[in-house]
Amino acid sequence: MAAEVVMPKLGMAMKEGTVSTWNKKVGDSVSKGDMIASINSEKIEMEIEAPQDGVILDILVQEDVGVPPGTIICYVGKPNEQLTEQNSSANELQAPKNEVAAAVSLEEPPANAAPSKKRKETVLISPIARKIAESENLNVETIKGTGPKGRITKADVEKVLAERASEASPPSVERDNLAINKETLPVAGMRKVIAGRMHNSLLNSAQLTINMKADVTDLLSLQREIKDVIQQRHKVKISLTDFIARAVVLSLQEHKQMNSAYIDNEIHLYNHVHLGMAVALENGLVVPVIQHAEKMSLVELAAELKTRAANARQGQLSADRMQGSTFTITNLGAYGVEYFTPVLNPPETGILGVGATEDVPMYQGDELQKRNLLPLSLTFDHRVLDGAPAANFLGTIKQYLEQPILLLL
Amino acid sequence: MNNLVVIGGGPAGYVAAITAARQGKKVTLIEQKDLGGTCLNEGCMPTKSLLASAETYEKIKKAEQFGITLPLEQVKINWDGVQHHKTNIVKKLVQGIGYLMKKNSIKVMKGEASFLTNHRLAVRNENQVEEVEAEQFIIAAGSEPASLPFSPFDGKWIIHSGQAMSLPAIPSSLLIVGGGVIGCEFASIYSQMGTKVTIVEAAEQLLPGEDPDIAFTLREELEKKGVAIYTSSSLTEMQPEDKTALFKHKEELHELQSDYALISIGRKPRVLGLGLEKVGIHFSKQGIDVNEHMQTNIPNIYACGDVVGGIQLAHVAFHEGTVAALHACGKDKNVNYRAVPRCIYTHPEIASVGMTEKQARDAYGDIRVGEFSFTANGKAMIANESVGKVKVIVEPQFNEIIGLSIVGSHATELIGQGTIMLHGELTTDVMEDFIAAHPTLSEAIHEALLHSAGQAVHS
Ligand SMILES: Cc1cc2nc3c(=O)[nH]c(=O)nc-3n(C[C@H](O)[C@H](O)[C@H](O)COP(=O)(O)OP(=O)(O)OC[C@H]3O[C@@H](n4cnc5c(N)ncnc54)[C@H](O)[C@@H]3O)c2cc1C
Repeated sequence: MAAEVVMPKLGMAMKEGTVSTWNKKVGDSVSKGDMIASINSEKIEMEIEAPQDGVILDILVQEDVGVPPGTIICYVGKPNEQLTEQNSSANELQAPKNEVAAAVSLEEPPANAAPSKKRKETVLISPIARKIAESENLNVETIKGTGPKGRITKADVEKVLAERASEASPPSVERDNLAINKETLPVAGMRKVIAGRMHNSLLNSAQLTINMKADVTDLLSLQREIKDVIQQRHKVKISLTDFIARAVVLSLQEHKQMNSAYIDNEIHLYNHVHLGMAVALENGLVVPVIQHAEKMSLVELAAELKTRAANARQGQLSADRMQGSTFTITNLGAYGVEYFTPVLNPPETGILGVGATEDVPMYQGDELQKRNLLPLSLTFDHRVLDGAPAANFLGTIKQYLEQPILLLL
Repeated sequence: MNNLVVIGGGPAGYVAAITAARQGKKVTLIEQKDLGGTCLNEGCMPTKSLLASAETYEKIKKAEQFGITLPLEQVKINWDGVQHHKTNIVKKLVQGIGYLMKKNSIKVMKGEASFLTNHRLAVRNENQVEEVEAEQFIIAAGSEPASLPFSPFDGKWIIHSGQAMSLPAIPSSLLIVGGGVIGCEFASIYSQMGTKVTIVEAAEQLLPGEDPDIAFTLREELEKKGVAIYTSSSLTEMQPEDKTALFKHKEELHELQSDYALISIGRKPRVLGLGLEKVGIHFSKQGIDVNEHMQTNIPNIYACGDVVGGIQLAHVAFHEGTVAALHACGKDKNVNYRAVPRCIYTHPEIASVGMTEKQARDAYGDIRVGEFSFTANGKAMIANESVGKVKVIVEPQFNEIIGLSIVGSHATELIGQGTIMLHGELTTDVMEDFIAAHPTLSEAIHEALLHSAGQAVHS
């Protein structure tokens, strides 16, 4: 029987997913596990695999149209197989959802949805001229083309933009500059998802950030001492981040309130630690999740972190590797940032921001020494816990980092 | 009275004449020498004919590499035969233009034209002067080789490109002053024919307009053929008596004796003797001033081709001639210089279109550069022509393809693809799924495009 392929639900907050590319068309044969489509949603891009061998019988969702999770996006079955009643009733069941999707896409048509595609056929315009026009929200139908057969060229678009800039502003110097320097980028794809999520995060929780410094001088010398051995034995390059992750995992187990989520006016406390680790990509960021980090040794955790981050950078992170985190770490140290206010990754209660270490002169007893300080910023949801327990939690992290031997146990 | 008179029968002039005639104008074309101008008689065509002979010779000498055994000691260049091939081609092409003139009912007058008023010309042929009137004029008088200020051409030792292609025999040594397009082409031709060539160039690199890495590949290949190259060097003295030139290289004075000294330091627009002053046409040493329709400040007079300066290439002359003629016939045409291919017929060939890497960095700051070497291209390897590479320059915001440079075998044919990309204002994403035939040299272009997007397959 034909198999339904549905838009997966990739996270609790997911309302909509989009097929960004169909790799197959109706009638193409597929083997189980073949990539049939790429979808994007939330902070995630992922590939959809064929559930069984067969051919694509029908495609129900077009590229770039958002649909709710659960919507059937295509059928895979035997060649010439007729879709059964059951199938079609499933279609009908889906119908309302599709309408919702249609309504959504009418309200805010995606940049390259069907209507603009239609226009592409009727307006003669060069590819670069079209891109510039789209990025500046120019209606290409209103531009006069001077190329062959009235084709709109880059120069034509630039002329319209120059005219718009000079009309829009009186000839005051600052205004002119504003017009010239203005650049609009569409908020789409991953950016749109991040924008929505981060804004909702701030709207729907009570966030407060506290800061503390940990003296990681001893930790860094321990790292230097053991890194070669670990590299040889386990083929893992151990980094400061790995120690921090381990310190966080241990602290979370001691402070359960921080390892929690605020969902529907209930606080869910977790025994396991699914650790989220923010990874910056070229065009946004993703948060791979290390499941059951509490069961891992320092070395195991380090290895897992490396693999997940690499996967994320190569866009090979499957959806289940990006959901269910109970606490997140985000690190801006590499950019020279000291303290900052991380934004919660809902529905989590806490997120730890890590800054850049700094060499400072510090008294150890009567002696002045060069010490290494690591700035830590903890954002937490004040609805779940108050300042004092949050400070205790951060203090525990600090303790672990300052007595690094405990992290090895 | 004529509707339109064209002065000069080179690429700009004959194309303008044909275009205007096809629009229904009564056209006369005045040419003092031979139809076809520099391009057919002393430029593009004869040089390429010599080059074809030189390359055939070179290829035969390398036949062994392809598993063909020859009595190599018997393989020789027959210079008369080479010249015959060249003149034969030129003759046929010139005749072809003559035929086109007839076919389009264009009257061809022989003589040297100069303006008397903005509607009247004097045409001098030997000792006779005839006056010709017209409503409109197109000046397409072309250009001539620039000479050294201190040593004019003497045709015996100090020669220009026109003379260099009709020497009585293959010279045993040749000094080339100027390592630009023409100088490098002659260096390629004669070095492959066995002449000991020396290039003296004032700039830091050969082909000063092109990217250094592209020009460097050519330099290496010329040096392999025994060409001595002195860049950042200036000529100080020419002594025709003993055929010796003095030049300074890195503060050191060099003395060089050669059979001939080819001066290829550029070409100057032929603006003198046309009576431009008489009608008040604006011009300078750099050429006649024109607007985007190739119109001079005198509205019924147009100018196009080498005579307006700018890019001195035959295909630019064709395009400008067309625009001038169409505008003179009431069609609103502008010149489009966006995608002018620049071809250098050396061995290996060089061709580029759009911006060089440096120009692009100056204009856009951070750009993307994709490269692919012919050493990884099967077709190039098979032909034993794997020297060179393709380089594509992409603007980072919209992925617009803004420049393509190729150094390598058949570069001047391959560049047509780049010309289309720039002319069509294409972006790399438009080209991603482009299918290049396999095995071809064209694959290198596709790979360079993919490389610019970080997706090259074969490198
Ligand atoms: C060695 C060499 C190699 C070249 N190779 C290439 C190449 O490979 N590709 C390329 O694109 N370009 C090449 N060029 C450049 C190309 O030849 C010129 O850009 C092109 O010929 C310019 O065309 P034109 O019609 O403007 O002028 P020209 O071709 O110079 O024609 C002008 C004509 O006007 C005539 N004339 C001048 N004044 C008068 C007058 N007062 N009355 C009547 N007639 C007059 C001249 O006799 C001449 O025939 C080369 C040039 C040289 C010298």
